[in-house]
Parts: sequence; C-alpha cells; structure tokens
Amino acid sequence: MSTPPATSEATRRAPIPGRTRQKAKAALIAAVIVFALVYTVFPVLWLLINSFKTRLDMFAIPPIWLVTSPTLENYYQTFVERAYLTYMANSLIVAVATTVASLVIGTMAGYALARFDYPGRMKFHLSFWILSTRMMPPIVTIVPLYLFFATLDLLNTKTALAIAYTGFNLPFVIWMMKGYFAEIPRDLEESAMVDGDTRLGALIRIVLPLAKPGMVATAIFCLILSWNELLFALIITETTSANTLPIGIAGRITQYKVEWGEISAAGFAACVPIIIFAFVVQRHLVRGLSFGAVKG
Amino acid sequence: MERWAEEHLRYLLLAPAVLVLLALTVFPTVYMFTVAFQKFNPADPSASAFIGFANFARLLVDDKFHNALFNTLFFTTVSVAAEFALGLGFALLVDKHLRRANFIKTVLLIPMMLPPIAVAITWKLLYQPQFGVLNDILIRLGLEPLLWTSSVDTAMASIILVDIWEWTPFIFLMILAGLAGLPDEPYEAAELDGASAWQKFRDLTWPFLRPVITITVLLRVMDAFRLFDQVYILTRGGPASVTETLSYYIYKVAFRFFDTGYAAAISLFMLALTVVFSMWFIKRMRLED
Repeated sequence: MSTPPATSEATRRAPIPGRTRQKAKAALIAAVIVFALVYTVFPVLWLLINSFKTRLDMFAIPPIWLVTSPTLENYYQTFVERAYLTYMANSLIVAVATTVASLVIGTMAGYALARFDYPGRMKFHLSFWILSTRMMPPIVTIVPLYLFFATLDLLNTKTALAIAYTGFNLPFVIWMMKGYFAEIPRDLEESAMVDGDTRLGALIRIVLPLAKPGMVATAIFCLILSWNELLFALIITETTSANTLPIGIAGRITQYKVEWGEISAAGFAACVPIIIFAFVVQRHLVRGLSFGAVKG
Repeated sequence: MERWAEEHLRYLLLAPAVLVLLALTVFPTVYMFTVAFQKFNPADPSASAFIGFANFARLLVDDKFHNALFNTLFFTTVSVAAEFALGLGFALLVDKHLRRANFIKTVLLIPMMLPPIAVAITWKLLYQPQFGVLNDILIRLGLEPLLWTSSVDTAMASIILVDIWEWTPFIFLMILAGLAGLPDEPYEAAELDGASAWQKFRDLTWPFLRPVITITVLLRVMDAFRLFDQVYILTRGGPASVTETLSYYIYKVAFRFFDTGYAAAISLFMLALTVVFSMWFIKRMRLED
C-alpha cells in the first residue's frame, strides 16, 4: 500500500533510518489502512448481503456470510409491492426543491458577504449569526415550526419539508459560497465593470461561471442533507403522499416486528445515490463537510 | 430603478437569506419563549393559560430530564473523545502515505454521508442478538454473546460504537487535511536540534493544527449533542431510558405527551447550552479573517 514517493518523503524526515525499521513501519501502516477500510466497508456490505437473503436465510443461526442462492425478492417486494418508489419520489422532489431554493438565496448572500463592505461590524455579526443558526439543534425549532405549518395548513406536505430544509441548508450554502467567491480574483469583475457592465451583470456573466464547480459541490451536499433527514419528516409527514424514504423505512421497524428483508433492500437503495455523490464531490469533501472551514 | 438596485445591491442580495433565516430560526425561538410560559394547548393555542415559570421549575425536579441531560453529555463526551483520539492517531500514523489516495479517503468518508436511517438498520442487523453477525464473531472467538442495544449495560455503548463508526473518519480526514498544510522548515530545524518525536508534536504539530482541530471538534460536538436518529431507530430511548437523549426526550414530551409548554422549556435550556458552548468555542477560532 505504501507507494515509492511516500517512502522517499519518510526518508527525508528521518535522515538515518534503519532499513528494517522503516519496512516494519510501512507494513504497520498498510495493515492499519487495510483494517480501517474493512471496518468501514464491512457493515454496509453486510446490509447489501442481507438484502439478497431469502426470509429463511435471513433468520439462520449462525448467520449466513456467503449467500449461495441470492434472491431479488426483497427488492421486488420493496419497490413493486410497497410504496417505496413513491417515498423515493417524495424524497427526490423535496431534495431538488430545497437545493434550488437554498442555492439561489445562499449564493446571493455568499457573494454579498465575500465582496461588499458594510457599516461598522455588521458583516462580522451577520456571518457569526448565520453560522450560529447551523449550531441550533433542529429539535429546538421543531415545535414552533410544527404549529406554524399547522396554521398555514401545510402539515403532511412536501412544501413544508422543502421550506424547513431550506432553512437548514442556507447557512451551509452561504458559508461555502462565500469561501468559493473569495477565491475568485476581484480584478475580473472590476475590469468588466470598467468596460461598462453593472455589478449584477459582472456577477452573472463573469463570476458565476467561475464559481460553478463550487456551486455544484455545494448543491450535492444540499441534496444529501435533505435526502437523509429524518426528524422533521417524522413529525411533519404522516401519509404516503408526503412521507420521505427514511420515514417509509422507519415505519417498518416497530417494537413487535421488523421487516428485515424489506428494510435491508430499501436501506441499501437509499445509500446508492449517496455513494455515487461521494465520489462525484470527492475533491470538495473535506471542505464541504467542514462547513468550508478547512480547504483540504 | 436600475441605479437604485445597483446602489443597494449589497443589501438586496442579503435580504432573502436574512428573511428566511429570521423566519425559520429567530421566529421559532421567540415563539418558543412565549410557549414556555404557558400551559400550552397545541390543539387550540388560544385556550392556553399563562403559568409563569412553572415549566422552568419542572426542569429542576424532573428526573427524566436529568437522565436525558446526563445521557446526552455522556454520549457527546465519550463519542467525541474516542473519535478524536482514534482520528488523530490514525492521521499522524499514515500522514503522508494517504495524502493523494483520494479513493481510499472517499471510501472512509462514506459512513458519515449515508442516510442515518440506513446506518441505523445496518447496525440493527449487526447487533441482532440471535442472528446478528457481531455475536457470531464473539462466539467464534470463544466469547460470551451480548444483548447489545437490548441490555441496560450495553445499550449506550452500542449507540456510541455506531457514532464512532460514522464519525471517526471525519476527524481523521480533517486532521489529515490540516497536516498537509504544515511547513517543512520548522521540522528540519527541530531535527537538527535533536528534538524528540513528542517534542515536535507538542511544539509544532499541535499548535499548527489547532484551528483545524477547533472547527472539527465544534462541529462534532454540536452534532453529537443533538443525537436523535440512531436512538429513534435502534432503542427508542430504552431500555429503561438509558439511551434517552435530550432531542429524543423533547420529541417524546412534545409529540407523545403533547406537553408543548414543557417541551419548549427543555428546548430553550438545550438552546442555551448550545449557544454558550459555541460562543465560547467560536471566539477561540477567531472567525473574523
């Protein structure tokens, strides 16, 4: 696992190494990395294996590690006989609506905070306040928002979820986009403005295209966040017309009965888009996961 | 009109975001204050009665609340400390070896990005006492099988294990990103002075990493403090309330017992704890630049 350039770097830091000691260290590092990978992947693999088990294999004691006769029965039941396709569609609609809304609103604010000056310490206080809303535990706002949506007659609708998730995503989008905009040289839009463009025109024609990779990464993080959300969906939605995928799955786990095959299949299906997205945004992962604080 | 818009662009661009955040965070908080002073009737808010500080007084005597607070603090402290120790150790060990290995890094980050519901059912499968794979492994190693989430003794530890699985890679990769930014010169100078590995870590690596560590721990503490999903799926707060966290307790009080006023009081307490902690922490990371 240790590659030649890595070994030479290690040599640079330790000028008089014993060769065996160095080899032992490389072996140890390789072993630790392999262990970490197995430890990380195994649980998800186990979920996948179980989603292919027949009802009988599922309850075998000791558990069956290698499925000799895999079945698609669980997937068939989940997506054809039950309402999971509707749950998935609901999740997708809410995620896309949320992402569009928070990206438009958040990009505007992110640009403003990256480029403009404000009187006094307003900018610092605003940035701080926006960041602090990310720190609020969601459960804290849930009771008033529930009553708020009840008043507007929006309980059990995808609209209510999209509104709530936009609130969750906004601080994230603002901070991410503020960081991406700060990396684009001011000269570009200033020279466009010298050539007669308005500030808004320069933003749309010059800056936004340059910020596109950042916007795409930010959008993907927003999609993931609303795709994964459980608590609000649990409280706001009640029926198939608005239930998202996590709620659909959670509904099959009760104190008395767990539909193992069904939830394994649906659970793994819920993971697939996330795994794809993780690889799409891999260059932005550290930055996105750290709220833009660490550039990685 | 266009000139007016251009002149006030700095405020116009900010306005929608500020309005949405006011509506979805400040308005609920203010409303919560009014609810917390009432015997609130969620079915008919106008039929609620003002009862002063009674809801807050209950916080002092409610054992269930004290239990949830203790569980939350315990969970947050142990999970984040374990994740931090493992993540830091692993990052220091592999340091330069993994820097360009994007594929491996991405694989390691996948657990924290997966839907919490999928993580929870994955571990529910692993923990299952009869046909779960963890007990199978224990038995093959000649050890006693455990009841995991079903036993008072191991339920909290089981929840913590899931969190460690999900989040250690995050801390590991954040610190790895921080290590990548370290300059080489001070290390070469320290090498010439004959500094020990521990001295180099204490005097160079740790101070350099502090900003990264600060934001990492802050984000992690905030997320651990609000734990709900894993508790809801894996244990429903049980057995005997040993895994009941503040978020789960508020959920129960508000949406199972419909005691909205009291739920508001607990929520405000939780919010106050979050604000105090994050203010103190953010001040330390000098946000202004």
